[in-house]
Amino acid sequence: MNVTLAVKQYISKMIENSGPGMKVLLMDKETTSIVSVVYTQSEILQKEVYLFERIDSQNRDNMKHLKAICFLRPTKENVENLIQELRRPKYSVYFIYFSNVISKSEIKALAEADEQEVVAEVQEFYGDFIAVNPHLFSLNLSGVARGRSWEPTLLPRTTQGLTSVLLALKKCPMIRYQLSSDMAKRLGESVKQIITKEYELFDFRKTEVPPLLLILDRSDDAITPLLNQWTYQAMVHELLGLNNNRIDLSRVPGISKDLKEVVLSAENDEFYANNLYLNFGEIGTNIKNLMEDFQKKKPKEQQKLESISDMKAFVDNYPQFKKMSGTVSKHVTVVGELSRLVSERQLMEVSELEQELACQNDHSSASQNVRRLLQNPRVSEMDAVRLVMLYALRYERHSSSILPGLMEELNRKGVSEKHCRMVTSMVEYGGKRVRGSDLVNPQDAVAITKQFFKGLKGVENVYTQHAPLLQETLDQLIKGRLKDTNFPYLGPSSLRDRPQDIIVFVIGGATYEEALAIYNLNRTVPGIRIVLGGTTIHNTKSFLEEVSLTAGAGQAERLQRAGGHPNRR
Amino acid sequence: MASSYLPPFEGTGEVKEGFLCPLCLKDLQSFYQLQEHYEEEHSGDDRHVRGQLKSLVQKAKKAKDKLLKRDGEDKPEMDSYESFYYGGVDPYMWEPQELGATRSHLDFFKKHRAARIDHYVIEVNKLIIRLEKLTSFDRMNIDAGKIRVIEKSVVSWVSDSDVPFCPDCGNKFNLRNRRHHCRLCGSIMCKKCMEFVPLPLAYKLTSGTREALSVPGSPGQSQSPPTGGGGGSISGMGSRRGSISSLSSVTSILEEKDDERIRCCCHCMDTLMRKQQKLEEKDHVPDIVKLYERLRLCMDKVDERAPEYIRMAESLNAGETTYNLDTAGGLRMEVQKYYELIDALSKRILTLGMKEEPQPHPKNLQLQRMVRYTATLFVQEKLLGLMSLPTKDKYEELKMKRKQEQEKRLAQERLAAQKRRQDSEKNRPASSTNGEPPQAPRVLRMTKAGGWLPSSDTLHTHGELEDPMLQQIENIRSFLRQAKAAHRHDEVAMLEENLRQLQDEYDQQQTHLAITLSQRLAQEELQHLEDRERGKMKHRAQSQAPGSTQATYTWQGSLNLTDTGSLHRDGEEELTPKAERSPPSMRAFPALTDQDEESPQWLGGDVEGQNSASFNPFEEDSTTVEEDPSNPFSEEIQKEHNEVANGKKEYNPFEEEEEGGVQGQADGVTGNPFEEEEENDEGNPFKEASGITPPGASTNPFEEEGEAAMPDVDLIEEELLLQQIDNIRAYIFDAKLNGRLDEVELLSENLRELQRTLQEQKLKTH
Repeated sequence: MNVTLAVKQYISKMIENSGPGMKVLLMDKETTSIVSVVYTQSEILQKEVYLFERIDSQNRDNMKHLKAICFLRPTKENVENLIQELRRPKYSVYFIYFSNVISKSEIKALAEADEQEVVAEVQEFYGDFIAVNPHLFSLNLSGVARGRSWEPTLLPRTTQGLTSVLLALKKCPMIRYQLSSDMAKRLGESVKQIITKEYELFDFRKTEVPPLLLILDRSDDAITPLLNQWTYQAMVHELLGLNNNRIDLSRVPGISKDLKEVVLSAENDEFYANNLYLNFGEIGTNIKNLMEDFQKKKPKEQQKLESISDMKAFVDNYPQFKKMSGTVSKHVTVVGELSRLVSERQLMEVSELEQELACQNDHSSASQNVRRLLQNPRVSEMDAVRLVMLYALRYERHSSSILPGLMEELNRKGVSEKHCRMVTSMVEYGGKRVRGSDLVNPQDAVAITKQFFKGLKGVENVYTQHAPLLQETLDQLIKGRLKDTNFPYLGPSSLRDRPQDIIVFVIGGATYEEALAIYNLNRTVPGIRIVLGGTTIHNTKSFLEEVSLTAGAGQAERLQRAGGHPNRR
Repeated sequence: MASSYLPPFEGTGEVKEGFLCPLCLKDLQSFYQLQEHYEEEHSGDDRHVRGQLKSLVQKAKKAKDKLLKRDGEDKPEMDSYESFYYGGVDPYMWEPQELGATRSHLDFFKKHRAARIDHYVIEVNKLIIRLEKLTSFDRMNIDAGKIRVIEKSVVSWVSDSDVPFCPDCGNKFNLRNRRHHCRLCGSIMCKKCMEFVPLPLAYKLTSGTREALSVPGSPGQSQSPPTGGGGGSISGMGSRRGSISSLSSVTSILEEKDDERIRCCCHCMDTLMRKQQKLEEKDHVPDIVKLYERLRLCMDKVDERAPEYIRMAESLNAGETTYNLDTAGGLRMEVQKYYELIDALSKRILTLGMKEEPQPHPKNLQLQRMVRYTATLFVQEKLLGLMSLPTKDKYEELKMKRKQEQEKRLAQERLAAQKRRQDSEKNRPASSTNGEPPQAPRVLRMTKAGGWLPSSDTLHTHGELEDPMLQQIENIRSFLRQAKAAHRHDEVAMLEENLRQLQDEYDQQQTHLAITLSQRLAQEELQHLEDRERGKMKHRAQSQAPGSTQATYTWQGSLNLTDTGSLHRDGEEELTPKAERSPPSMRAFPALTDQDEESPQWLGGDVEGQNSASFNPFEEDSTTVEEDPSNPFSEEIQKEHNEVANGKKEYNPFEEEEEGGVQGQADGVTGNPFEEEEENDEGNPFKEASGITPPGASTNPFEEEGEAAMPDVDLIEEELLLQQIDNIRAYIFDAKLNGRLDEVELLSENLRELQRTLQEQKLKTH
């Protein structure tokens, strides 16, 4: 069930298959990301892969002393490029791996192009997804929805990605989907179709309890991606943006050249692996310890090492020192930048209010606080908008909604027209009308009691009160209480026992907060393994883009209904 | 010794506990490591083993608790796997999985390719056969008409009237744009679309070798080229099409005189060129490949040899006698040779073709850089993992120490056993049914010995028995155990009492002996102590069974032998287990926490600074402790120790050194040792050291210390110096590579200094 390992195994198998000798890895844009997320350069260098090339790159010389390992998505362009490549081969042997199912006719076209008999292997290795963490994958697709339905090109792509995860993990699951979302149903059917069509591929050893694929829609919980995060990974993504485990720090003031882009990978960075899910305060302490350790170890800078023993100590510790110095400067920079942003944007205050909006049910206090923060000049445009969005989502149908007033406040603050419009788009995207589950007001007695007790107990940490809806959904699912009426099975059969292996897929993107929730579920509930995936992994910024893409296409639809819009009441 | 917690039980071969691999019983220090090990070693094994692992962990834990009488009291480190079997599993620790689904299209691919290839190969072969026919006669001496007849016989020419336009460019044929026939396929094309196969190329293709090109007087190498263009065609002949087309443009002025070239269409030419390219590649191995193959060979050798060496070095450093110091030294040299070779080879790969014009393709250069980078990484990673060997003296010391350590372990085991016995006294039925795996053999022995008599043969299962003394220690232990098994409580008590006394004696003696390792003083003392001991033993022997007299005798023996070498067991206890336990990956951080502890040692660390090139600060620590006799402070320590009451039981190296420091220097207690040294005088720790122990007044710190402490250490140091120089060179290179100029400067200065010292030393020794 470990998606990172699954991709790693595929890649190392490819390299292994090609035998000894110098190698080049030929990839396309997407497979480059897939590989680079799970392997570092030095790791792959050790496997004798010395060059990394794009199949569409023109600047490649004849290097007949290299073996080529091609890892490509089975797209038309790639097949065409590969045909050209095989006609005039630049390398001695070609080992071809497609990341997904490829048609016979394309194989035939390739075979006919291989007049020089350079191809030694043609296989499908289903690593067609970005394995972010062992339990988290992404497809790096944004703007998957047009209004309430699929962007036509992205449904097949998402299906491919999701089926490749199933194949890589060797799971032939039962499928449940969120009834309120047509997209979820379409995707489920599409996946089912592939499973039926490629039944030979999906013929895995039967387990006692069949695995389960649960397909959800982001629009069911639009609140989670709007919240500021305080655990390391989520926070980095929210404030700096994690792209394939890489952060772009080039906008950080006074950044040194080699830290413009840094990699945060739990696979190779011990500090990161240990702190990934810790909150900002804890990381502060840990980074201080790391610094102190480093200071102790660090030889006096710019000073001659006086004796042989100093020197020896230096040389002996050199590799560790070098590695550590890299880690230290990286994390110190990242955490430093995070804390700068936190204070600059007054994120503590903003986040407190966000959490209040998301978790508590006190309209008067909430509306007061939103108004107050909107008037604070230091609160950024983005944060102001997100507060209003949260308010709008939360008190969408509240009798004394002050949303129009807040919109005016936004205008006064000088927030751009585009962003103001986003508020309506957001309600359109994730408002009550579209929600299947009840995000804010629990209806059944158990949930109400639960919330009541939660209120009694008080809050441990005001910044991390919020638990994503996904957590509740999965909790129900694990206990076998998830209602078939809301999350029906695709097909006639249904699961009798409690599920064991669960793959959750969120159309429209998952978040790192949800990844953490899944991580904790995995750790605390015995006998289950859950993998979370999404068309992408959102922070607020990317989520707003997603929503505006969705809404942009649904514009016409919306204009028709504009008169009866709930927010204008 | 009272410290029953943190007992170094592992390695006794008796009680295995903690994170043992359920399949090979290898002791791994943490859950993570176990997991890793498990994934690496046994991933192919059946999955059910996982369940076994769980139960084993549980069992081991139970056993440990029982052993240490810590029922119910959990150490925090247990938490990691506590959650593992009570709650869910961290995704990072999900069980190993098999490779995901795959599907091969190779057969289908091959089928379709085969059809295509057959067709292609036939085409090529046809062309080659025709080409052979066309070149099989002497073209020079036959007139054009005859040639034409022969050419037409090889392949039937398409009739002119059928082709009004050039099939390639579409131009109409007329008087000026005349038709030309391809001699290989007979098709018609215009002049522009025609190409020529020069005869040398034709010969090359037909013979399949290059010889046709170089053999003089071959029909192709016409001595008197009729045209300048023709001459050019020979010299410029190669695989490049450019020369051929330019040639054709030059000769186009002349009437068709195909003396040394064969007219063919561009399609045939294309096919021929590809064939030619293939031929060329077949027997051409570029330099980089040759070098690279050698590089890999060296790397493989290192991969093969280094673990072997590390095993030896570890064993030697632990004072075991399994391996020979000299063989290990030889192996080390061998491995280092390989490293040098790797470095040299990768450097050559890096600079391949750099001086040539034109420069190789950027991708080639990149490839070379990457190969070099990988080699650098390889050397860095592996070379630094090569721990140093102990010097001869040190090795002797280590051996002694190991013995002592084992002794100590026995004592601890005895203590634990005693507790167990007390336990079993209280609730015997419980203990007999608890069925802890580690205890099982002992239970057996118990039942076997109906009438109790100590039998030493039971112990031969233990590891380190080649040493007779060790055997005797084991014997005592076995007697103790047997006595316990037979419930001869009086005897047990007596034996234990004796052992404890012995222990105390040890401690006293060792403190002295350790310090005055090579001095008579200690021996006198020893004599004295032995006398005392003997007196005690005699006294005891009177009241003991015959079996235990044997035992007392062995104690005496062991006493004499063990106490000579090993020192301050406490320090070692603290340090060595750490060094051994901490896995490489986790070293960085724990290392730092011990900084304060080690810092005083760095003061005296100059000598071993040259002796051990280990990169692990822990190892360094442990060696530091061992090397104290050679420490410049040792004299102080002696003096001091003589002053301090003899009854001092535990020799703490840190304390001693600190005190020594206080005596010898201004202060030596806190802070960074380096800083301290700078404050004290001109920042040269050697000077300082020489101030304390002023032997020969030479200015060479190495020499001085070598003489003061270890007379025969010079040669080895030289070797180590060389090694150090190599290391530093590697770093300089690395630093340069990464553009850290300040580091380069620093390192190169150090390098110079090292070289200077080396030279001086050489002068002195010769």
